[in-house]
Amino acid sequence: MSDWMRKVLESKRATRRQLRAFSFSEKLKLLEKLRERSLVIARSPLRHSREVRDDRVSSPR
Amino acid sequence: MKATLEIINRMQAEGRIGKYAIGGAVGATFYLEPSATLDIDIFVSLKNPQGSPLLTLTPIYDYLTSRGYKTEKEYLVIEGWPVQFLPPGDALDEEALQQAVETEVEGVRTWVITAEHLVAMALKTARAKDFARILQFVEAGVLDADKLDSILKRHGLLEKWEQFGVKFLRGPDPSGRGNP
Repeated sequence: MSDWMRKVLESKRATRRQLRAFSFSEKLKLLEKLRERSLVIARSPLRHSREVRDDRVSSPR
Repeated sequence: MKATLEIINRMQAEGRIGKYAIGGAVGATFYLEPSATLDIDIFVSLKNPQGSPLLTLTPIYDYLTSRGYKTEKEYLVIEGWPVQFLPPGDALDEEALQQAVETEVEGVRTWVITAEHLVAMALKTARAKDFARILQFVEAGVLDADKLDSILKRHGLLEKWEQFGVKFLRGPDPSGRGNP
């Protein structure tokens, strides 16, 4: 593993440690934001057009 | 989420439900970093309707729908959050509910299933996302090994835990003797 990759992974671990240290209330507020974003992504027309394309590719002839 | 828990607490105060505890991804968030989820799993102790040996979620549905809350598939949407009420399905669920830890969300009292019970329940359910969550718990170092061990023993999950360890944590024992 390169030094650069090691730094990236350590940075991710540090961020996760920081997030874990938040209070439950603070973490639930973050969870609500994550949920809102997930719902926006799920509703995105771009995602639906991609699903249609994927269906065409995977449909048996 | 605070408003959702307030409604559930009100149901409890009014005797519609018994003890409850948050499980699933939201419960895991108590111990881990937050990860996206769309719903809340609430393990709940139900009261038998008088004279009936059957446990039913009907009183919860009746209580909430009569107050304008909508159902969506297997969920009840309470203050914007889809909530799934889960009566304990076995002794592990029952124990997890009874031993849940008390906490607060923005001043609202609530209960969360212990980290060790969440891991045992995830091991029992055994979907890919459950295994990913168990790995998060292990990596976070938040598990009490003795407590987890006794839960796994009590509920016949030691073999599954061993298989999980081989697959995701340690790899197979090269000597072929298995782990002690």
